[in-house]
Amino acid sequence: MDTILRINNLFAGYGKECVLNDISFEVEAGKKVCIVGESGSGKSTLLKSIHGFAGVSVTGGSIEIERNILLGIVPQNPGGSFNPIRTYKAQIGEALKSNNIDFKIEEVEKTLQTLGLSDAKRALRARPYELSGGMNQRMAIATTMLLEPGILLCDEVTSALDVKTAGIVVEQLLEINRLRKTTILMVTHHLGIASKMADYIGIMKSGKMLEYGPAKEILDNPQNEYTKNLLKALPRLKVN
Amino acid sequence: MAKQIIKRILGLVLILFVLSFLVFGIMYLAPGDPAEKRLTSQGVVVTKEILQAERERLGLLRPFIVRYADWLKNVLVGDFGVSFKDDLPVGPKLIKGLENTSGLALCSLFLALLISFPMGILSAVKKGQPVDHVVRLFSFIGNSLPNFLISVLLMYLFCIQIKIFPVIADGSIKGLMLPALSLAIPMAGRFTRQIRSEIIEQLGEEYVMGMKSRKVKGRYILINNVLRNSLGHILTIIGLQIGTLMGGSVVIENIFRWPGIGKLVMDSITARDYPVIMGFVLIMGTIYVVINLIVDISYRFLDPRSF
Amino acid sequence: MNHKRKKINRIKVTISAVVALLLVLIALMASVIAPNDPYVTNASAIRSAPSAEFLFGTDNLGRCVFSRVLYGARTTIAATFILVAVSFLLGSFVGILSGYYGGVLDEITMRIADIMLAFPQMVVAIAVAGILGGGLSSAMIALGITMWTGFARLARSHTFAIKNCPYVQAARLAGKSGPAIMMSHILPNIIAPLITNALTQIGTTMIGISGLSFLGLGVVPPTAEWGSMINESRAYIQIAPWAVMYPAIATIVTIIVFNYLGDCVMEYRDED
Repeated sequence: MDTILRINNLFAGYGKECVLNDISFEVEAGKKVCIVGESGSGKSTLLKSIHGFAGVSVTGGSIEIERNILLGIVPQNPGGSFNPIRTYKAQIGEALKSNNIDFKIEEVEKTLQTLGLSDAKRALRARPYELSGGMNQRMAIATTMLLEPGILLCDEVTSALDVKTAGIVVEQLLEINRLRKTTILMVTHHLGIASKMADYIGIMKSGKMLEYGPAKEILDNPQNEYTKNLLKALPRLKVN
Repeated sequence: MAKQIIKRILGLVLILFVLSFLVFGIMYLAPGDPAEKRLTSQGVVVTKEILQAERERLGLLRPFIVRYADWLKNVLVGDFGVSFKDDLPVGPKLIKGLENTSGLALCSLFLALLISFPMGILSAVKKGQPVDHVVRLFSFIGNSLPNFLISVLLMYLFCIQIKIFPVIADGSIKGLMLPALSLAIPMAGRFTRQIRSEIIEQLGEEYVMGMKSRKVKGRYILINNVLRNSLGHILTIIGLQIGTLMGGSVVIENIFRWPGIGKLVMDSITARDYPVIMGFVLIMGTIYVVINLIVDISYRFLDPRSF
Repeated sequence: MNHKRKKINRIKVTISAVVALLLVLIALMASVIAPNDPYVTNASAIRSAPSAEFLFGTDNLGRCVFSRVLYGARTTIAATFILVAVSFLLGSFVGILSGYYGGVLDEITMRIADIMLAFPQMVVAIAVAGILGGGLSSAMIALGITMWTGFARLARSHTFAIKNCPYVQAARLAGKSGPAIMMSHILPNIIAPLITNALTQIGTTMIGISGLSFLGLGVVPPTAEWGSMINESRAYIQIAPWAVMYPAIATIVTIIVFNYLGDCVMEYRDED
C-alpha cells in the first residue's frame, strides 16, 4: 500500500506555545484513520497543521503529503464554515471554480443525494441559516467531497449532532470511502465512533501520541493505561 | 415582512406628524410678530391699525390649534404659504432650492463613496500594515475637519492661488467641484473608518476561515461574501450620514453661493421669513426620515436573517 | 502581546489627555498669555503680517490675531465643555431614571429620544438657532436639543443591563431605596461608557459650534471665536491669509486632539 501522508516527529503550536509534542504516524491511501483524544489533547491542532492553517506554526519535524493531493477539511462547526446568507449553490460554485473544477449540477445533486439529502435542489437553493445543524453538516461534507480531495480531514464532525444523525453521517463517510477510495483522517473524542469506522486508531493525550496502530490491535490489546481506561468507559462496546 | 414594513411606515407618519407639530409650535412661540415682520420687510410704515388688519388678514388671531390644522392641511397638498419677503409662494422656492441641493449632495456622496470604499477595503485587508496606518491617519484627519474650514482652504488654494475653479459656484460642473469636495472630504473620512471596521469584523467571521480551508479564491471571499455581507451595515452608515450632509450643505451653499435650499434658508433666517424656515425643516426632516426608512427596508432585503 | 498593546494604549491615552489638558489650560489662561487686547482696533496696523508685536498678524480692523485666537479658544472650548457637560448630566439622569424605573416614564422619554434622533442634528440646530436669533447660548441650546438623547439612550441601556444583576437585587432586598441604589451601584458601573461617549462628542460639538458661528448663528461679533473669525477674514484672504490660517489651524489642532483622545479611550476600553 502507498503511504499518502507521513508525519515525522512533529512539533507545532500557536505562537510560542507548543501544543503538539513529537507526533509521528503514517496513513496509507484509502484507509480510514481516527485520532481519539479528549479536548485539549491537541488533536484539532494536529488536523490544522496537516491542513496548513495560517494560525498554526510548525516548530519541528515534518509533514509529508503525497504530491498533487488536495486536502479537504470538514471543520468542527461545518454550518459556520459557510456564509450564512448566501445560497449553497453559489458558494459551492465558488469553491469548485476556485479549485478549477467544473460545476456540473447533476454531479452536485448526486453527491448530495448520496449523503441523504434527497431534495438536493431545495438544499442548493437554501442558505445555511435556514437549515438545521445536521443538514449543514452534510452540505459541508458534500462540498468537501465535490472538491475531490485525496484525503478527507474531519474535525469532530459528529460532536454537534444527535446520536442518530451522527450515525448517519458516519455511515455516509464510510460509503464515500468505499465508493471513491478517499482516505479519511478523522479526529474525535469518541472512541465508540472510532471503533465503528476506523482501520487505524491513534490515541492522543496532552499533545502526545500514546498509541497508534491497526484498530483491531488497539481495541483488543491496548498497551497504554490511558487507552485501557478509555476502553473500560465503553462497556457495551462490541468489536467484530 | 410586509406587516413589518407597514408598521415602520405608520411609525414614520407619526414621527412626521410630531415634527410638523414641533415646527409649527416653535414658530408660534418664536420671538417677533410675523405680521409686523412682514409689513416692515415690505417697507410699510407700521401703525396699530394696519398691524391689526394685517394680523386679521393672515389669520394670526385665530386659536393655535385652528391655525395648525389649517397650515398642516395646506402643507399636505404642497402649499407652504407665501414668503413674508416678496409674497411669492414658498413651495416652488423650496423645490427649486431642493433640486440644486440634491445635485450637490449626490455629487458629494458619490465622491465620498468613490474615495472611501477602496480605501476602507484596502486598509481592512492590510490591517496593521503601513498602508493601513496611512489610510487611518488620513481618514482620521478628514473626519476631524469641519467642512466650512475645508471649503475656505480649498477656495484659497484653487481659486486664488491656482486659478482653476470659480470662487462662486455658478451652476456649472466646474463650479460644483469645490463645494462637493468640501462636503465629501469629512464624509469620506467617516465612511472609510466605518467601512474599514465593518470589513475587519466580517473578515473575522467563521465562514471566512471555512472558505479559506476550501481554498476559495480571495477575490470571491472578499467581493462576493465579505463585501456582500457588509453592505447592509454600510448602507445604514450612509443613511445616518445624510443628516450631517444636509447640515453641511447649508454651510457650504452659503460659502459658495450655491442656489440650494440651504442658501435659501439662511437668507430667510436673516429676513425672519418664517414660512420658508418651517418648510425647510419639514422637508429636510421628511427626506431624512424617508431615506432612513428605505435604508432600513433595504437592510432587511440584504440580510434575510433580519426578517 | 496583549499586555503590550494595552500598555501602548495606556501611553496613548495619557499623552493625548495631557495635550488636551494643555489646550484647556491655554484657553483658561488666555487673558494672561495674550500679548494684546483682542478687541482693541488699531487703524495704523490693519492687516499687518505676523511680526514680533503681532505674532499671528492683525485682521481687517488691526486686532491682534494671536490674542483673538487665544480668547477664541476660551469661547469655543468653554462653550463645548459646558454643552457636553450639560447634555451628559441631563441625558444620564433621564437615562438612568427611565432605565431603572421603566414603565411609562421610560416609554415617554424614549419616544422623545426617538423623535429627536429622527431629525438631522445640524438642520434642527440651524433652524432653532436661526429662530432664537443668534448668540452663543442659542447655538448651544440648538445643538443640545438633540445631543442629550445620545447620553440618555446609552445610560438607559446600561442601567437596564445592570438593574437585574444579583448584587443590585440584593441591595434592593436589603431595603436600599431606589435613588441610593442608583447612586451607589448603578452610576459607578455605567460612568465609564458615558464618559467615553462624552469625550467622543467633544470634537463633533466643537465642529457644530464653530460651524454655527461661521454661519453667523453663534457668537455675535466682535466676540472672538474661531468660526466667526474665519468667516470675517475669508473675504480678504488674498491680502491677509494669516487672519484665516491661524484660527483655522487652531480649530483643526483642537478637534484632532480631542478626537484622538476619544478614539484612544474607546480603544483602551475595548481592550478590556
